Formats: sequence, C-alpha cells, structure tokens
Amino acid sequence: MQTSRKGKFQIGLLLLPGLLIFGIFTVYPIIKLFVMSFFEWDFGSISGQKFIGLENYKEVIQDSYFRTAFINSIVYTFVTVPGQMILGFLTAFLIHQVTRFKVGYRVLYYLPVITSWVIASLVFKYVFNTEGLLNCFLVNVIHVTAKNIRWLDTRWSGLWISMFLGIWKGIGWNMVVFLAALQTVPTDLYEAAAIDGANALEKLFHVTLPCIKGTILFALVMLTIGGFNVFTSIKMITGGEPGHKTDVVLTWMYYKAFSTGAFGYAAALSFIITVVLAALALVQFRMMRQKS
Amino acid sequence: MKKKNIIQVILHLFLVGALIVVVLPMVYMVSTSLKPNGALYEYPPRFLPGFDEITIENYLYVLGQGKFYINFFNSIFVAVCTVLLAALIASALGYVIARFAFPGKNFLFSFIVLTMIIPGLTLIIPQYQLAVKLKTINSLAGLIPFYTAWTIPYSTFMIKGFVENIPRELDEATYMDGGSVLTVFGRIIIPLAKPGIASVSIFNFLTAWEEFPWANTVINDNIKRTIPIAISGFFGQHQFTQWGYVFALSVFSLLPILAVFIFCQKFFVAGLTSGSVKG
Repeated sequence: MQTSRKGKFQIGLLLLPGLLIFGIFTVYPIIKLFVMSFFEWDFGSISGQKFIGLENYKEVIQDSYFRTAFINSIVYTFVTVPGQMILGFLTAFLIHQVTRFKVGYRVLYYLPVITSWVIASLVFKYVFNTEGLLNCFLVNVIHVTAKNIRWLDTRWSGLWISMFLGIWKGIGWNMVVFLAALQTVPTDLYEAAAIDGANALEKLFHVTLPCIKGTILFALVMLTIGGFNVFTSIKMITGGEPGHKTDVVLTWMYYKAFSTGAFGYAAALSFIITVVLAALALVQFRMMRQKS
Repeated sequence: MKKKNIIQVILHLFLVGALIVVVLPMVYMVSTSLKPNGALYEYPPRFLPGFDEITIENYLYVLGQGKFYINFFNSIFVAVCTVLLAALIASALGYVIARFAFPGKNFLFSFIVLTMIIPGLTLIIPQYQLAVKLKTINSLAGLIPFYTAWTIPYSTFMIKGFVENIPRELDEATYMDGGSVLTVFGRIIIPLAKPGIASVSIFNFLTAWEEFPWANTVINDNIKRTIPIAISGFFGQHQFTQWGYVFALSVFSLLPILAVFIFCQKFFVAGLTSGSVKG
C-alpha cells in the first residue's frame, strides 16, 4: 500500500510526541551518562568539566566499597531470581491443578506485588527489628535463641531481610506469568506421556518445562534486571549500614553521587552496571537457545 | 473419583498454608495500624491487638493532618497525568511501528526494547542534571515527563503486540471509506487495542503511584510530596518512629491501588502475560 503525502505527515505527527519525550528524557540522558563518565564532573563548575579519560572507571573497579556492593548485588540476584521463579512456578503449578477458587488464589497471591516497595520495606524492617515480632517469636515462642538477634546490624542478615522481601514480593508476578504459560501447554502431550508410562515428575521435566521455555527465559531476563535494580528496600531497611556493607550497586552509586558529589564516578559505575546487565541478558538468551 | 478429591484437598491445603505466610506481613501491617500508639513499644510485641484495644486513633491522626490530603492529591495528579500521556504516546508509537514502514523503524524499535534492560535508576544523574536545566527540580508537574519516559518502552512494546493482532482488513476498509491514518488510529486501533492499553495503564499507574527514589531526590517541599515520600518522611521525622501512623498512612495509600486492581483484574493479568507467551 502506498502511503499518501497526507498519510506520511500524519505518521510523523503520531511519532513526534513519543520521539520527543523518549529522546529528551531517556536517550539524551543515556548519552550524557556515557560522556560524564569520562569527566571529573562538578555540578557547580563554571569553567567547564575536566576530561580525565578512564580514570573514573579505574577508580570504580579498584574501589573496595564498589566491589562489596557489586558482590551484594550479584548475591541478591542469584538468591532472589531462582527463589521467586521456583516458588512462583510451584504456586502456579498448584493453582493450575485446582478446580475451585482459582481466581481467589490468583488475586490474593498477587497482593504483595501491588504493595509499594516503601511500605513493604517498612513492614519488613518493623518485623525484623531487634525488639520486633520475629525475635519475640524466636526467643519466647519456639526458643531457638536466648537473645534477640540484631538482624539489621550485620552484612548478611541485613541483606537477607531485603532478599526475603524481594522473593516475597516477586512470587505473585511469577505465579501469574507461569500460570498463563501453563495454560498454553497442549493437554494431548500429557496424555501421550501418560501412555508412555511417565510419572508426574517426568511429565514436569519432559513436557511442562520444555513447553514453557520461552516464559522461563522471559522471567529470567526480566528478574535479573530487577535484581540489579533493587534500591528502595535496601535504602529503607538497612540504608547500606553498617559501614556500607549492605549497599548494592545502585544504593552505592546514589550515595556517591548525591552524598559525596562524585558524579563522574557514579556515571562510570552506572555504565558498568548497564554493560554487565546487557552481557548477562545476552548470555541468558544464548544459553536458552542452545538447550533447544 | 475419590482419589481425585483427596488430591484436590491436599492441593488446597498447600495453597492456603503458603497463602497465610504470604499475607502475614500485610495482616501485621493492618493489625499494627489498629493498635493504640502506646502499645507499639511494648515488649514482647503481639501479632494482634486485644479486642478491647482496637482503635482507629492512628487513622484519625493521619486524616486530621492537612498535608495528608495534599500528598494524596499530588500522587493522584502525577499518576493520572502519567497514565494518560503514556497511553496516548505509546499507542501512537505502537500503532505506527506495527503498521507502517519508515526509515530507521527497526533501529527505533530495537533501541526502545534495549532501554528496558537499563536499570532506570542508573540514569538518575544525567536526568537530575536535565531536571536542573529544565527548572523542574522541586516541581510536581516536573515528575510527569520523566515518569512518562520511563513507561514508554514497556508500554510501546506491549501495545505494539496488541495492535499486530488487529486484522489489517479493518484498516483497509477504513481507507476505502476515505479515512486517513489518524482515522484508523482513532476508530480502529484505540478501540480494539483497549484491553492492551488498559492493562499497560494499570501497570503505569502503579509505577507512578509508588515511585520513590526519583521523587525523593527532586522534591523537597512538604506540600509537593507524593505519598511514598510522605510515608518515608513520617518514618524519619520523629526520634521514635510512630509505626501506628506510618502503617495507617500505608493502608490509605494502598486503597487506590487495590481499587484499580480489583476493578481491572482481568486486564491486569492479560497485559502481564501476552508478552511472555509469545516469546
């Protein structure tokens, strides 16, 4: 079909607002970020910024605080992504089998997803307080420890609260995604497997999982990005304390930029994270393709 | 037949058991908001308040504060504007990308998808600088273009998928009747892609409603705060955190989301999954 001149004009008209907003508020900042990462950036400077080449990148990589934060982000992602996926899938798997209350379960399991990060973080912080409900339960009810545990005061216990929160909040999303995928698996495949004498577990691994591979990959990529995106829960629950030991890459970046004014450093850090994530997404795509 | 029933019962037992664990934190939040403030520092803490203890004083306190209404209105204003702008812009983009060939189209679409990989917050520094330049620091309306830009990639991606499922014959028929590109957009695409647009919009509403880091960075004035900033402000304001107030405010802030979610449950799930099943 040949588009008329008027048609072309209207196509342009439809594209324009999107291109403008996207261009100004997303594309421009991406380019700016890249440029800033090569400068010793100073917001107040009038004389212009000082070009320092790869110095910011060097500083980031050699920084032990960054390495701690990076390891924390990796641990967070490697714990919460499989955690959410497995629990979300199991929930979906069970809901898929039941004949009644399907919608009810779906709605209720989804509640944590629509709870805002700020609120969920505060609830978890309150529960894990040294004088909080969890300690009370551990000490007074099931007697596994004699003293209140200071959850928020050490690196791994502090991180565990955020990871626990991340998993709790993510189950619902995975449940919905996997539930939809399970509905697409043709039932005759199960019947065929049953005729071949497959048991429930064999059906799961040889029929269900291969059929929903696309969804698994989709969830994996989205959640990995989400894992590196974690910010609000860390900021609200531990605030990176004690001594930046519970910082993740984004909270550390934020601290460096807005508390110390090291914008060039933070820009370089941001760019490194983006590249790492792009590489991870690529590897995940490759891995899933090879398996088929 | 009997064995089947037993299996069903076991499944429900598992589901209900896990569900109790999942909703426990929410229940605790509500129960804490119903306790008298003095009881919040008692030790040992209790999961539920006693029957005679239940009070709505925390809710009354929150409602008695003028700034609560302002914060609430701010959040509604920002979220609604973001949703409308994003819906219009992303539908237009999705429509044009799905239906027409133009130079740079593939590049544009790949780029839009690629930006979904970038953690939103990594752009906060150049975006902050941009906001300074545009003088939108500490401005409520200044939040909207940034939120809209964040929601465009995902929204466009989803709506394009919906548009592709609309038969082209409908477009052709409209052109035959003398309709233009814009007529097709208004009469065919928007009405038929409505479920997609709606589901994306619910998601965008949630994004704008609960957004914390950006609003927390650029908004300073008390009266310009959105709800999440107000909640975190409550949290840091007093030496002792007034958990009762915090959670009462939290419950209030969950109500609009709950309402949107319950009314649009069908769209919500449809939107989440259509992208994944195809992939």
